[in-house]
Amino acid sequence: MDKIWSVAVNDLRVSFRDRSIWLSLVIIPLVIIFFIGLANGGFGGGGGGARLLVDTFDQDRSDLSAELLANLKVVNPDIMLCPADNNADDVCRLNGESLTEALATGRLTDGMVSATLVIPPDFGAKALAGEPVNVIYRSQNATGQTGPVLQALQAVLQRTGGAAVAARVGVEVFENSGLVGATFRDEAERTTFRQEIYDTARQTWNDLPPAVTFSESAEKEGRKPSGFSQSVPGIGTMYVMSTVLIGCLVLLTERKQWTFQRMLTMPVAPGQVVAGKMLARFVMGMIQYAVAFGFGLILGVYFGDSPLALLLIMVVFTLCCTAFALLLATFVKTEMQAGSLLNLVVLILAPLGGAWWPLEIVPQWMQTLGHLSPVAWAMEGFRNVIFHGGGVASVIPNVLVLLALTAVVFLIAVRRFKYE
Amino acid sequence: MSKQALVEVRGLKKTFKRKDGTVVEAVKGIDLDIYRGEVFSLLGPNGAGKSTTISMMSGLLTPTEGDACIGGFSITNQPLEAKKLLGVVPQEIALYPTLTARQNLEFFGRLYGLHGRELAASVDETLEFIDLRDRQKDRVDTFSGGMKRRVNIGVGLLHKPQLVYMDEPTVGVDPQSRRRILDTVIRLQQDRKMTVLYTTHLMEESQELSNRVGIIDHGQIIALGTVGELIQKVGEEDRLVFNVGEQPISEALLARFQTEVPGVTKATYETVELKPVAGMEESAELVVEKRSTGQMVVVRSGQVKDGTIVVYAKRGRKALPDLLRIANEMGVDVLSVEVREPDLEAVFLHLTGRALRD
Ligand SMILES: Nc1ncnc2c1ncn2[C@@H]1O[C@H](COP(=O)(O)OP(=O)(O)O)[C@@H](O)[C@H]1O
Ligand SMILES: [Mg+2]
Repeated sequence: MDKIWSVAVNDLRVSFRDRSIWLSLVIIPLVIIFFIGLANGGFGGGGGGARLLVDTFDQDRSDLSAELLANLKVVNPDIMLCPADNNADDVCRLNGESLTEALATGRLTDGMVSATLVIPPDFGAKALAGEPVNVIYRSQNATGQTGPVLQALQAVLQRTGGAAVAARVGVEVFENSGLVGATFRDEAERTTFRQEIYDTARQTWNDLPPAVTFSESAEKEGRKPSGFSQSVPGIGTMYVMSTVLIGCLVLLTERKQWTFQRMLTMPVAPGQVVAGKMLARFVMGMIQYAVAFGFGLILGVYFGDSPLALLLIMVVFTLCCTAFALLLATFVKTEMQAGSLLNLVVLILAPLGGAWWPLEIVPQWMQTLGHLSPVAWAMEGFRNVIFHGGGVASVIPNVLVLLALTAVVFLIAVRRFKYE
Repeated sequence: MSKQALVEVRGLKKTFKRKDGTVVEAVKGIDLDIYRGEVFSLLGPNGAGKSTTISMMSGLLTPTEGDACIGGFSITNQPLEAKKLLGVVPQEIALYPTLTARQNLEFFGRLYGLHGRELAASVDETLEFIDLRDRQKDRVDTFSGGMKRRVNIGVGLLHKPQLVYMDEPTVGVDPQSRRRILDTVIRLQQDRKMTVLYTTHLMEESQELSNRVGIIDHGQIIALGTVGELIQKVGEEDRLVFNVGEQPISEALLARFQTEVPGVTKATYETVELKPVAGMEESAELVVEKRSTGQMVVVRSGQVKDGTIVVYAKRGRKALPDLLRIANEMGVDVLSVEVREPDLEAVFLHLTGRALRD
């Protein structure tokens, strides 16, 4: 262990001797994090990734339906109603097409939108009459699982329904009160009365705090995920990958300068030398994460409430990259070849796995494909913590997947490894 | 010197498989003992298998067959124990170029199991020994070839081993540095009582340093013994080497040498095409390596041949005046003469029919 540590320390010393390390470890990653962060919404709340697109069909077009929709956005500001809220940037990603129910079904199955909401033509009338109202809500979430949109919808319907019931109760109480003259002169008066009670009831509801747990994190002022909450873990992860995978060259370089062969003539097991080299790579990867997240903290970026969960993902992902570096080391023959191979691997796996933009905004098939990339498992974990307020438990599945992958890759690499 | 073997090499073989499927038998079965306290040199031309042999003896390459034991520990079965007794100075400069001399020594010292004060003391002593104390804080890549060689040697001595392997430690250094390195080897043996395995393709080095020499060619030891024992194999004849430049040499001259001068047994004439050293094609004077002696010489531009007459004679110095007179009579201008007493070069020539430098 002593010798492994010596090899690792020496490797780090050699790495930091090279001035260009500051460029690749600090300057370039930070510049990219900064610009990608800005492009994703920068410091502003929401951020591209946090948007919840909801395809909406308001067949009722009553005041009540309009209010329902408006309330949805009050309860959860991240909700974007399509096509109504579409803007010049095409947040709804309609590409100029007009939204039909068929298109909406496709968008939902592709995972482009979080939900579809249909308000039937008789919604307003029925609600006022106190009859049961029906709103059609479809989402990709498994039944029984409450997504943020459904939570908001339920909260709003509760208010609407509650107000409508109050109005109806009010009318009946009035009519059956036995008070002299307690009759409406005509239907119009009855309707006005009902409307008044409804408005009062609704107002009362609105004065109460929203009964939605989802918006809790949004309530802490300035502690909201921003564009940087995506770019710091995303671009950080990408650079951790290249920093660690470059490790596949370390043995090649050491062989070329004969220091590896020299070590093999010393009383140290070849496995210890390789372990030391890989330990150094792991440390470099963690330093890379520290640089990225440190930069984020300086910018005041919000990273959720569970540093431990974040650390867990960082450690496991870096470990996974280290195993891949060892595996690549058994393939690469020249530095040139390795250089282009690494670029290719990083430039495919990083965006595929959601390092550049959140996977939640790409079509379902791409999300599925993306999970072939270890980056996706790390990014999903980071987003669970940063965007969805998760703790250690929320990242356990991701950690286990990455650990399993690490173990498999490591075993293959060790079997392939030759010292001569 | 007691003849106690510190290193025992038995049946060592190494076969490399090239990518194109061809098989190279680099070492074809080597047996040798290296005695405690001696300098043993492996002398052979480039490609003879010296480095491959040393690599197998130090645990860097796994032998295809055979084994080597150091102090009774097998390098294949008890590598850690065997390696503790051994220091290796590879043919290549095996150092971290961006680290300082001291950092290099400290790192490798740790791998030899040294720590703390012991490590610092050992590094100091080694820096003293290789005479680089005042440059210890400088990066190795700012060093001259000779200084790098010295650090390269120093690393192999850090843990004060009883035994050191040095693989062509003088390759690519200037004459002054070479002298220094040769003196280092002598000091290792005399002051530190170390056992040294030294490989070289230069017979002068072998002859000066070694108690015993193994001559290696095509992966086999073709002769082994003290320098005296080996030279006896070729008899007593001196070789006289006449440099005659581009002049045409007739068979008649060679015939007169053999018939008229007492003691001469053989006279041959050889020419070598002189090729300018790469990059020097345009200069008025050319630097070329003379094949006969391996020296670098300056010749006139345009001279294309280097002719030598080699005469074998029982008592070379006595025959010399007669040989020069005959050459003069035949109109041949002798540019230089060398009288070479029997040496390892002659032994190699005798055994293989080739010069060591071929
Ligand atoms: N890794 C290798 N693969 C194939 N052939 C090799 C390898 N190493 C050495 N050889 C061959 O083995 C022979 C002996 O090489 P080497 O031991 O380096 O000779 P020396 O050190 O005496 O100059 C040479 O013909 C060389 O080309
Ligand atoms: Mg060699």
